[in-house]
Amino acid sequence: MSFWEYVGNRRTQLLLDTYQHASAVFQCMVVATVLGVLLGVLTYRSEWAGNLAITVTATILTVPSLAMIGLLIPITGLGVAPAVTALVLYGLLPIVRNAIVGLRGVDPDLVDAARGLGMSRMARLVRIELPLAWPPILTGIRVSTQMLMGIAAIAAYASGPGLGNEIFRGISSLGSANAVNKVMAGTLGIVLLALVFDAVYVLIGRLTIPRGIRI
Amino acid sequence: MSRAGTQGPGGRTGHAGTDLSPPDGTRAVDIERRPPAPTAPPARLTWQKLTFLPATVAIGLLATWLWFRGAELDSIARNAIADGNVWLRLRQHVELTAISTFFVLIIAIPLGIALTRRRLRPAVPVVLAIANIGQATPTIGLLALLVIWLGIDTKAALVGIVAYAVLPVLANTIAGLRAIDPTLIEAARGIGMSALGVLRTVELPLAVPLILAGVRTALVLNVGTATLAYFGGGGGLGDLIATGINNQRMPVLVLGSILTVALALLVDWLASVVELLLRPRGLEGDA
Repeated sequence: MSFWEYVGNRRTQLLLDTYQHASAVFQCMVVATVLGVLLGVLTYRSEWAGNLAITVTATILTVPSLAMIGLLIPITGLGVAPAVTALVLYGLLPIVRNAIVGLRGVDPDLVDAARGLGMSRMARLVRIELPLAWPPILTGIRVSTQMLMGIAAIAAYASGPGLGNEIFRGISSLGSANAVNKVMAGTLGIVLLALVFDAVYVLIGRLTIPRGIRI
Repeated sequence: MSRAGTQGPGGRTGHAGTDLSPPDGTRAVDIERRPPAPTAPPARLTWQKLTFLPATVAIGLLATWLWFRGAELDSIARNAIADGNVWLRLRQHVELTAISTFFVLIIAIPLGIALTRRRLRPAVPVVLAIANIGQATPTIGLLALLVIWLGIDTKAALVGIVAYAVLPVLANTIAGLRAIDPTLIEAARGIGMSALGVLRTVELPLAVPLILAGVRTALVLNVGTATLAYFGGGGGLGDLIATGINNQRMPVLVLGSILTVALALLVDWLASVVELLLRPRGLEGDA
């Protein structure tokens, strides 16, 4: 069976896996973004808290994803729970780091001017600092998403959702005629999803980054 | 990581570049000394930095050992760790990491240097585009394809691990060499240095921090990818984790995972210590 015949035959299964992969990564990215920006906002003003946040998330990133999932399984059991937890944890690092770097990089004169205009702390944060720090945060989100695409594939080994299942089905049927097709379908599907997500982020960047600070 | 890595040296050389002095050693030292340092330069190694992580890992491993001794193991779990299997897998994992890192470095760094030479420079955007797409490829998929292509073997796993880490290290090396202030290179050429001389005495020393960062990136990536070597018949600690998941034997799963985590943290720590020790004195302060 050629690759395209295989894809045609297994259309429903592949589409379901693709949808689940995209949806898992997307939902975890939303949670990771909210948590990551929140952590950044809470810690960037303090030298040691900010550095601690960066160090802790960087340490999490050093942990191989299969080991992380392995440690989560006794706590959460198999399935979606360990996959989602691992994805959110790994997604945090680039966002936290870039949020802190971005927020610390905002020109203090601008914040001071805003204070002079009578803006509250909250208003300064929401209307001045976060918009100025948004481009690096968005970069962090892009980096995270790309990473999560691959980690989600590994999470399939612990019965997680998505295209990783296709790859592991291929691995467990090594030698059979369809092994290559399965692995190829899973791998190419993930590459395709990663490229689509990246294109969407470029678009989001175009729409949300104020013209004045566009590079 | 690449962000900080490229900005650091770039900023420093930019500062030196505004001073249009000939790049001979004595003058450079003089310039370094002229502004009286407000405080003593921070020590590169503190005891805290050196001991905190290994101590934590040691305590974690000790706790795991004590727990594992007391854990109830049935025959399946005992089988999974029989005949020194744990040591075997640990050794395989270290070997996979060391060998693959060696290959990553001897491929990526010379290639990065070659691609920043004048003649090959047009190829850089193409290479970086390929590197980006490569990053989007899931490791496990790449590994599986290689296994199908090369057969179940340690070799296939090694090729996969190397292929996955070459691209980021290459991109880092290119970024670092590009961040070197062009006026420095021009000045060196101006005093009559050959292209090779400039590379050897100006560009490479300035790129050392970046190359070291590349080594660390490669090591950390490879420890991680090596856990997947099991799926390609390459062994490693992934064997314990996968056996634990397949047979639902939590002690085996946790033991494998904790050993992997400890190894990854220790390798990263070791690389960071080496990075600090080998960083040229003249480039200090941008860490």
